[in-house]
Amino acid sequence: TQTWFGRDLREVCCRVSESHVCNQYGTSSSLPEETKKILQNGPDLEDFVSGDLADKSVWAEYKGNLKRQKGERLRLPPWLKTEIPMGKNYNKLKNTLRSLNLHTVCEEARCPNIGECWGGGEYATATATIMLMGDTCTRGCRFCSVKTAKNPPPLDPEEPYNTAKAIAEWGLDYVVLTSVDRDDMPDGGAEHFAKTVSHLKERNSKIVVECLTPDFRGDLKAVEKVALSGLDVYAHNVETVPELQRKVRDPRANFEQSVRVLQHAKEVQPRVISKTSLMLGLGETHEQVLSTMKLLREAGVDCLTLGQYMQPTKRHLKVEEYVTPEKFKYWEKVGNDLGFHYTASGPLVRSSYKAGEFFLKNLVEKRKTKVI
Amino acid sequence: MHIWFSVTASSKLLVILGFIFSNSRLKLLQRTEKQNEEEKGKNKVTEQNCLRSKQMSRRGFSSTCKLQGSHGELSSADSVTVHFINRDGERLTTMAKEGESLLEVVVNQNLAIDGFGACEGTLACSTCHLIFEKDAFQKLDAISDEEMDMLDLAYGLTETSRLGCQVRIKKLMDGLTVQVPVEVSDIRSQLEVGKQSKQ
Repeated sequence: TQTWFGRDLREVCCRVSESHVCNQYGTSSSLPEETKKILQNGPDLEDFVSGDLADKSVWAEYKGNLKRQKGERLRLPPWLKTEIPMGKNYNKLKNTLRSLNLHTVCEEARCPNIGECWGGGEYATATATIMLMGDTCTRGCRFCSVKTAKNPPPLDPEEPYNTAKAIAEWGLDYVVLTSVDRDDMPDGGAEHFAKTVSHLKERNSKIVVECLTPDFRGDLKAVEKVALSGLDVYAHNVETVPELQRKVRDPRANFEQSVRVLQHAKEVQPRVISKTSLMLGLGETHEQVLSTMKLLREAGVDCLTLGQYMQPTKRHLKVEEYVTPEKFKYWEKVGNDLGFHYTASGPLVRSSYKAGEFFLKNLVEKRKTKVI
Repeated sequence: MHIWFSVTASSKLLVILGFIFSNSRLKLLQRTEKQNEEEKGKNKVTEQNCLRSKQMSRRGFSSTCKLQGSHGELSSADSVTVHFINRDGERLTTMAKEGESLLEVVVNQNLAIDGFGACEGTLACSTCHLIFEKDAFQKLDAISDEEMDMLDLAYGLTETSRLGCQVRIKKLMDGLTVQVPVEVSDIRSQLEVGKQSKQ
């Protein structure tokens, strides 16, 4: 191993010294002009040793490939790199969840924001999105790494009570509840979901509850049950543009069904705010995203979030394109122009990421304008 | 040879261990060499300068230089050749062990078929949908009801379609060719959206 390491170091020094030699003595080498420029302007050995490389968070500075060519796998651009989750809050939250036998979509779907949300911080309370009805789904979608099984274990009857207890402990003012698909249950798990929300509201009536529900196979009675349980925001993700629905989602899900779910929730409970989410980077075109946003607005959806799709494991779809932060800002502007209550748009934005902040901030602003 | 017999058992053991150790170090070295070479790419200067040093370090191992397969060793006795024709028409050939399911073959051999086997083989999706040739299809085991339920949801279903997670490799499948079905293309997307709204 010593010779191996030694040789590596020698090669790096060779490269560095060669570029310096070129500068100092003007010796001609067989390098093309472009490579010479990269060697001159690129990082030096000192940069590597000090650990302080340029922060290439702007598209103009990032020189990597962002659109997938045939046969390649794109590298992660710098604006998507996140810290490894650890710390006191993170561990405390994890222990609470395990002791109450609760699951979170944060862990199961490998969310990149887990460190940030669970860690909390000075200004934010630690929060997690609890996933009801277990950690095993009955559908296998090509973008999701939640475990799948034909017959998942039966529901835990203590779950609604335990969830309410955990959330009360954390002292949050905004919480998001989500669940797996349970096509093996006659009502798709709607009763269980509704019970959790009502328990939560009983314990703390001031808390704002958002539910990210499945489509219940289009069963509108189940949608009604959840919509009338007392929640404030009814969310259901369409995930992608209609043209890619078949490729990305399970065949039992489709665009029309999802939109119908959102429309019905508002019909039975007009007070509720509806919300949906799109993942970008799966191969959709600019026009497709624009027309999808228009369709959603026409269907009466109030809020929209846009995030970057990231491949969770090698069995899932490859990322077709890494959309730049600038493009996400553009979509945010389009969403606001179309008339959504709010459009949360960014590479690391997920359906429940900072959901409370966006919602409450927006509510406060809207109230201000109403007064005026 | 008679020297070997006269040496004690424990020293024989040491010699054998030493041989295995140096071989594994060589494998590690070759793998990192390969990685390093890929990283450098077109940087000819580095190669020219360091070729000499590489040759010097290689000489020490040249006598025991034996390249071994990177995917582990498969004895030819119980492995068959399988061809996958990918969605874009590319032909992927790989070796598979008897008893492995086709999904396991794709995952273990890291074949470039993405979005394959989302449910990890639990008959809860149809992403491992594969199209077989007629004669190969007839030699497969009977399809179960559960598999049929999931297969019905698959896009581009044919009469010789099966789910890859339920098909196990057998010796007689040597040279099997399977087609990965094409995805929904944009031209047909309008029809698909229309069909789905009627469901």
